[in-house]
Amino acid sequence: MKRTADVIVIGAGIIGAATGYYLAKKKLKVIVLEKNFPCAGSTGRCIGGIRQQYTHPLSINVMKESVKIFSTLHKEFNKDVEWFQGGYLFLAHSEDKKSTYLKAIEIQKGFDIPVQFISSDDCAKIINGLNTEDLLGGAYCPTDGQANPFAVTYGYLNGIKKLGGTLLNFTEVTKINVRNNQVQSVITNNGDELFTPIVLNATGPWAKNVSKLVDLNVPIEPERHESLVTEACERLFDPMLVDYRADGCYFIQNFGTGHFIGCYTPVPNDPGDNIKASSEFMTEMPRRMARLVPRLKGIKVIRQWAGSYEMTPDGNPIVDKTPIDGFYISAGMCGHGFMFGPALGKYMAEIIIDGKSSLALDDFALNRSFGKAEALK
Amino acid sequence: MKKDIVICRCEEITEREIISVIEQGYTSLNEIKRILRCGMGHCQGRSCMNIIARILSQKTGQPVSKIKFPTSRPPLKPLPIDILAKYKNE
Repeated sequence: MKRTADVIVIGAGIIGAATGYYLAKKKLKVIVLEKNFPCAGSTGRCIGGIRQQYTHPLSINVMKESVKIFSTLHKEFNKDVEWFQGGYLFLAHSEDKKSTYLKAIEIQKGFDIPVQFISSDDCAKIINGLNTEDLLGGAYCPTDGQANPFAVTYGYLNGIKKLGGTLLNFTEVTKINVRNNQVQSVITNNGDELFTPIVLNATGPWAKNVSKLVDLNVPIEPERHESLVTEACERLFDPMLVDYRADGCYFIQNFGTGHFIGCYTPVPNDPGDNIKASSEFMTEMPRRMARLVPRLKGIKVIRQWAGSYEMTPDGNPIVDKTPIDGFYISAGMCGHGFMFGPALGKYMAEIIIDGKSSLALDDFALNRSFGKAEALK
Repeated sequence: MKKDIVICRCEEITEREIISVIEQGYTSLNEIKRILRCGMGHCQGRSCMNIIARILSQKTGQPVSKIKFPTSRPPLKPLPIDILAKYKNE
């Protein structure tokens, strides 16, 4: 039998799942192809934070929409996704950081984000047991939050199936056939040919390789980020704690489970597709966590892993059509894919169906100059 | 009743729940782990994963030897934050 789809989505992470869902809701026949199993890439390795505190106006608008969507997902899926608005607290340990956050707050206030700079005493009131040494205060937004990446992604994928779409696991795209500059079909590792006029590349850290199948070069490079999780314990505090010092870290207590989960951005960065866990991280991350909140010192670490951030030159994603008719890309999320996913899924579905989205995504265009970097990467 | 046997003791996941997700089409240990959290607690699956593999084998007919196990991740045993941090300083 000849297998056809209106849209083939490559990648069953948050981006592919959310976009596929909003396309299926508009009655398109969607097939999602996943080379491993859902969330096996970056989505399932992220720590689940959701924030509106950005400096790029487009990112702030996208995140306002995402927060709106996250708060309705339990109704949409008829299932809890562990969405919890516990806030984000960016700690300032230097005048330099403080001024970065104050400038960011000025921008964010223009978008009605309820963010404010609070004193170090107020930080300690919110974070039970916070070490306030050298602390000048923090940028706090109580409507930021967290959700469970597996619950959200599987929620979208189950929605696609209910709407008549298909998810094929362990199915890798090996070839994309293009004729007269128009996508015709994809060939999978099983040798099957699936016919479609539209392919969405939602493959995160593999977006560059998949784009090469249509001879398209996209500036997306993976780099390794590591994470760990502790045993569950009683609730200590609600926000994601962000310490952007060179040897800082960020972590949050899972609302659903009580585990502390966190990571840091290595300096210098760690490019490449290696996602093995390192002993360096296993000792360094606990040191940084215990420095911020000393009372965590007796809590046990139970698991450590690594994943890829998919970086673009300016720290913003690429969400666009491409010079190949029918080939779309939504990738290069720079570590923000899970939180951007619901809104970008909605907007990408609009781009595919209507040719443009209700929020203009020009600054996430494929052919932009990549000149202006996000300050709160 | 048999179906209420707790298989994953750390996360308190029962045989009934495991069979239910297998019947929903989740036929790899990696997916069962991510959906139910079994094997994500203190023991990291050392107590339950073999049993879940056997249930999966019984329900799907794939031999246990062909079932792919989730990646074992460090540390082998839960360790307190201050002990790990001290290693860094030494």
